[in-house]
Amino acid sequence: MIVAENLTKRYGERAALDNVSFEVKPGLVTGFLGPNGAGKSTTMRLIVGLDRATSGDVTVNGKHYSQHRAPLREVGVLLDAKAVHRGRSAFDHLLAMGATHGIGKKRVEEVIALTGLESVAKKRVGGFSLGMGQRLGIAAALLGDPDTLILDEPVNGLDPEGVVWVRNLARHLAREGRTVFLSSHLMSEMAQTADHIIVLGRGKVIADEPVQTILARAKGDGVRVRTPQASQLAPLLTQPEVTVTGTAADLLEVHGLASSRIGEIAASAGVVLHELTPLDGSLEDAYMALTADDVEYRTTSAAPEAIA
Amino acid sequence: MTTATTTTEPTGPATPAGVPARSHATLSRLTFGGILRSEWIKIRSLRSTFWCYLFIVIINVGFAALASWLVGAGRGRGPGSALSTAGGPAEAIGIITAGLTLSVLISAVLGALMITGEYGTGMIKSTLTADPRRFGAVFGKVLVFGISSFVIGLVSLVVAALVATPGLNHNNVSFDWSDGQFWLALIGGAGYIALVGLISFGLGAIIRSTAGGIAAGIGLVFILPIIGTIFSALTSVAWITNLIAFLPSNAGGKIYAYGAGTSSVKDGLITLDATQGLLVLLAWAVVLLAIATVTIKRRDA
Repeated sequence: MIVAENLTKRYGERAALDNVSFEVKPGLVTGFLGPNGAGKSTTMRLIVGLDRATSGDVTVNGKHYSQHRAPLREVGVLLDAKAVHRGRSAFDHLLAMGATHGIGKKRVEEVIALTGLESVAKKRVGGFSLGMGQRLGIAAALLGDPDTLILDEPVNGLDPEGVVWVRNLARHLAREGRTVFLSSHLMSEMAQTADHIIVLGRGKVIADEPVQTILARAKGDGVRVRTPQASQLAPLLTQPEVTVTGTAADLLEVHGLASSRIGEIAASAGVVLHELTPLDGSLEDAYMALTADDVEYRTTSAAPEAIA
Repeated sequence: MTTATTTTEPTGPATPAGVPARSHATLSRLTFGGILRSEWIKIRSLRSTFWCYLFIVIINVGFAALASWLVGAGRGRGPGSALSTAGGPAEAIGIITAGLTLSVLISAVLGALMITGEYGTGMIKSTLTADPRRFGAVFGKVLVFGISSFVIGLVSLVVAALVATPGLNHNNVSFDWSDGQFWLALIGGAGYIALVGLISFGLGAIIRSTAGGIAAGIGLVFILPIIGTIFSALTSVAWITNLIAFLPSNAGGKIYAYGAGTSSVKDGLITLDATQGLLVLLAWAVVLLAIATVTIKRRDA
């Protein structure tokens, strides 16, 4: 259980975090979502005491991180893949980390096996790819077998297989009753992994709700219709509360009418349909809409798809 | 890099090996002994440490060996020479510690690297999440590094003495292994190496950049005395000369000299003895490490 109360972090004039409050509950995967620069990493650093909050407070299981007798057993954290000395081997890094808490070679070998690093464990970290660095960071987070896991952009740089692996791992750890808090700037990734989502934009919490709620709201009522007789079909569909937009010569996007009804109308008019697709892929759009005013680095003219 | 070969296996993370049964009663926790073990693993698992220590040994041993043979030639010592009196332990120590001026620079570089290497690579974040109160992490690092450098320094100087013995004998310079003063000078030399390393560690922790830390360490130990000496020679102002006496290199020079003499203030010029030299050097290290600890504790990592 992570509890943040009115967290504020200022760097000079700029507030990286502005009065942020939330709870991350055990037994769930909580996604921490927001554009780059929204303050996700800052929040995570504040939780484990690497940075000091300008004001406000954050506790893990009722105590400040630094007050725990065995911090690594309480919280496992992946802040970024670069929190490792490049000149040291992965094995020695984990051994040194574990030694502080009396965690021995056996557990180090376990987490190396768990993260699939056996073949490179004795190699110097300087030669690691981004994906291998991420795996090592996750191994370090798991080292103390902690109740709470904080993973900042854990799928960054991982291959598709690794992405699936992290997703399964996070869900598995949450099922065991642990608190799992992971950040991403990708809504699609979070939608598949998280049970609950906290959206941060420009240092403020702009949404804090179960993923189903966000999904339900995001679900569009649009239907894509592809037909060579578009000009014939369009007037048949047009009625109050329904909008029909032609996006190409043979393509219509219909809002306010179920796909089944469109199919029936087309059939009765003898219109040939090549495609009839309900559009529910607007999850990213919902997220974009949520954070639209809070993106720090905006591209001026790119299509939304390019940013997503 | 091929990660794909090994990624298939852990895809199902429900392996009991990954998350073994948890029993909090038997779980270990953060201890200072653990921190010391951790820092020892860190110091022995880096190539930079190994190379720096190796250079310190090579320089100390090599210079002593070289100087032990050259001393006769350089000083006209030998049969028939006007200076043919035999040398004593003071001269022997001077030859055995001939490499210290240079090897101590390596120690300064290593000292800065010990902490700026962690900041530069981001390792410091791992170190400080393992010990979020930070004091133990800093103190553990200082202790492990200080002791390692002292041991390396002492071993290198003992080996230097052994290697120099044939040359010293040849040139009629004698010393006695059972002489307590002789050992005190060797221990002083080892302490000088260790303390300069820690002074540089303190500077590195405050500055946080490798280049800056090394520059500051070398500047304080090597460059500043040279600049001071130039000004002192040009101006003959007493306070500049006195200031130089309190620089780490000059104070340190007192603790590895054989029977370094007595302290005095003559014509307004201060001379330190061995004990005072040690205290001055310790003061440099303690003050800088105290500032370093406070900054590490207070600053965002």
